[in-house]
Amino acid sequence: MKRYQIVIAAAVVVVLALLPIVVTDQYLLNNAILVVMFIGLTVAWNIAAFGGALSLGHAAFFGLGSYTSALLLLRFDINPWIGMIGGVFVAGLGGLLLCIPLLRLRGPFFTLASLAFVEVLRLLSIYARGLTGGSEGLTVPSRPGWLWMSFLGREPYYYIVLVMSVVTVAISAAIYYSWIGYQLRASGSDDEAVNALGVRSSRLKVFSLVVSAAMTGAFGAFAAQYYFIIDPDTNFSYVLYALQPALNGIVGGMGTVLGPIIGAVLMTPLGEYLRDAFTAEQGLSYIIYGVVLIVVVMVMPGGLMSAIRTGTDRLGRGGRRRAAAAVSKELEPTREEVKP
Amino acid sequence: MQIFIQTLMAGVLLGGVYALVSVGLNLIFGVVRIINFAHGELVMVAMYMTFWMWQLWGFDPYVSFFIVAPVMFLVGLALQRFIIQPIQGSSSAMKIFVTIGVSIVLQNLALYLWGGQYRSVTTSYTTSVLTVGGVNISVPRLIAFAGGLLLVGLLFFFMQRTLTGKVLRSIAEDRDTARLLGIPVSRFYMFATGLSAVLAGVAGVLLTPFSSAFPLYGAQITLIAFIVVVIGGMGNMVGALVGGILLGAIQTLTGTYIAPGLQQVVLFALFIVVVLVRPQGLFGAGVGTEEVGLK
Amino acid sequence: MTLLNVESVSKRFGGVQAVREVSLHVDEGEILGIIGPNGAGKTSLFNLITGTIKTESGRITLDGVDLTHRGPVDRCRLGIGRTFQVVRPFTGMTAAENVMVPVLVHTKRVGAAKAKAVALLEELNISFLAERDISSLTLAQRKRVEVARALATEPRLLLLDEVLAGLNSREIVDVLPFVHEVRRRGVSILMIEHLVAALTSVSDRLVVLDRGALIAEGTSDVVLKDPAVVTAYLGEEKHDAAS
Repeated sequence: MKRYQIVIAAAVVVVLALLPIVVTDQYLLNNAILVVMFIGLTVAWNIAAFGGALSLGHAAFFGLGSYTSALLLLRFDINPWIGMIGGVFVAGLGGLLLCIPLLRLRGPFFTLASLAFVEVLRLLSIYARGLTGGSEGLTVPSRPGWLWMSFLGREPYYYIVLVMSVVTVAISAAIYYSWIGYQLRASGSDDEAVNALGVRSSRLKVFSLVVSAAMTGAFGAFAAQYYFIIDPDTNFSYVLYALQPALNGIVGGMGTVLGPIIGAVLMTPLGEYLRDAFTAEQGLSYIIYGVVLIVVVMVMPGGLMSAIRTGTDRLGRGGRRRAAAAVSKELEPTREEVKP
Repeated sequence: MQIFIQTLMAGVLLGGVYALVSVGLNLIFGVVRIINFAHGELVMVAMYMTFWMWQLWGFDPYVSFFIVAPVMFLVGLALQRFIIQPIQGSSSAMKIFVTIGVSIVLQNLALYLWGGQYRSVTTSYTTSVLTVGGVNISVPRLIAFAGGLLLVGLLFFFMQRTLTGKVLRSIAEDRDTARLLGIPVSRFYMFATGLSAVLAGVAGVLLTPFSSAFPLYGAQITLIAFIVVVIGGMGNMVGALVGGILLGAIQTLTGTYIAPGLQQVVLFALFIVVVLVRPQGLFGAGVGTEEVGLK
Repeated sequence: MTLLNVESVSKRFGGVQAVREVSLHVDEGEILGIIGPNGAGKTSLFNLITGTIKTESGRITLDGVDLTHRGPVDRCRLGIGRTFQVVRPFTGMTAAENVMVPVLVHTKRVGAAKAKAVALLEELNISFLAERDISSLTLAQRKRVEVARALATEPRLLLLDEVLAGLNSREIVDVLPFVHEVRRRGVSILMIEHLVAALTSVSDRLVVLDRGALIAEGTSDVVLKDPAVVTAYLGEEKHDAAS
């Protein structure tokens, strides 16, 4: 990573960290928490997308994280911080399970399998009432304090999810700029060619999916604490936690570190706004969502990041041409010098 | 024993519905090589059309077929021409996402226009039941089942015996060569998608007498339709029929003998198992499976 | 000294026997050319050698090591590098990044890998393209990146699949000496080409495939005069001129 990028990132984090000082309205803080959480979820989803795995089943990992953390608290009195580690672990195991279809199926069929995967978990959690409370779900007890990750105001939740997202972005960047990142991206582009070049892409793909799943699980555990209530239709929700991160990723530009962040920052408030603006007209907000998805795929399949890159590329090339022209002008001998 | 047969019968009829819905999906998948996530929504749209024609003008559902079919054909044509064709060259993932976008738009358009309540059609035969040997068979479901069989048969005949069908099959097998031979592939793609939409439309019409229309109907049925297609063998029409019936039977039997809550879980679990163990489906694949997905 | 030994490999695709009991060998330091009409099975043979597809019968050994049951990743790590007939660059990445991918197999540090990648691009005279997105390169440039990428795997045997296809005559003249240079560095080469004249100028020996079978083998002057080869390319001579 270049130095200026790290500086800008640090500055952004500082600004975000100072946000609750300026914004005290609880409603706005809730929105901020949502945006930050979805940044984390989208970036985490995108890590699997580096290697070409487009999962529409990430809600499975989210739900696994939620239920693991909640159950550890409810049944064994284990505090949610440890519960989150548990959630990460179980979600990671779920990711490992999904690796079996990942390695055997090509793109679209893996996506279908991931859909089936989340549906199975959702239906199973409705069915296993004894364990999961069935369709009513579970209520997380509120024991105020940092040990039990339960607070009256929203500020502490904001800081927790902010730290989580920063860590997620950092991990994503670390992978992206490492040898794993380069080989993963190549594998996502052409898996057969990358194997012919001696890269064992299957291991990399497993790694990226498990990491992606584990991090998603962490946010699921957070959600259990933040929302107090978890249930199958919400925490294994295809629309909320599987489709949404994928949508954000596509709009922002998959396969980069910044793309998913941009996508989440744009789409999350947009979604909230649309829902509020059109509460009377059911469905209108999602129609717009659908149209946005269609338009982005058709016009900018690389997402906003690719549009930005093409733009700066053109500026850059224009700049280079001007610079080259200026240099050659410098080197032209002046009339006086040529005279013998 | 009685319960077993009754359950089995219900399952077979249910399976007929599944097969009916998946036939169109199979076609578009086999020829155009696209996984159309909006297929269920096409069924849903047809169901609403059938409902409204009954509600507003008193058309019997089976009669509305004659209007629904051509309308759906045009819808399919438009879908191919304006949405799928421009991105025909992108990765299969992108094509999936665009059809997901279409499905979101259609679902919510229905929600916005007609609200979320279930819309039912009641006719003289809605509750008719045929009793054979102590087993009750719902007449509209039986008609839907028979319709499904007929549809598969007609499609099979069409693909094997007519010129258009043969061209479609040749495109399915080797698109590039077909193009080189001067076949206007994009026009045939439009036809295939149009036909697939008609098939979805027929499914919708046949379902309306006993199934209520609501915006999320498509979402429920699409994934199952894919499972049917994969288990039956992609591009394999007869396989999809048999696969659908099998799945329906497994679902109802699971519901009765294991647990109602596990009915659908079993289907999804079966899907994952089949896709890993025998990716070409129980009956072997038709053409094109390598390109879109299974190694 | 034999480096690659291919013994009687076969492959059938559906109704077509793409490769029919082909045997050949490449000696250490040799450049072996493969020619044959379209559909003769040349690329399929390459795919069998690299392990991209599995043989139904026969054996493939590299320097005595039996590769027959090994996958493409292992075969590459054991020393077989290849380019593709239709170039397969990694989209969304620059030319340097494309070459870095195989370099990173052995050199994990990104900085060092990049330096090596740029050095390889330099050898192919395209280091000025290092930071450009691969999609903005011409075909000839992309082919060079493909060759650099294959060389980055540090192969002992390099398989070049129609590396001259689509190039104009000046571009071809630029590439051929490079092939010699690669051999000079100790890499043996197996080359498929359609441009027989260009191929004969570089290769030591030729092998001719037709309809999946090997029909001739030897030095170019011998092979090109072989009646079987002539027939394969030009078809049967018609004897009756009566009309």
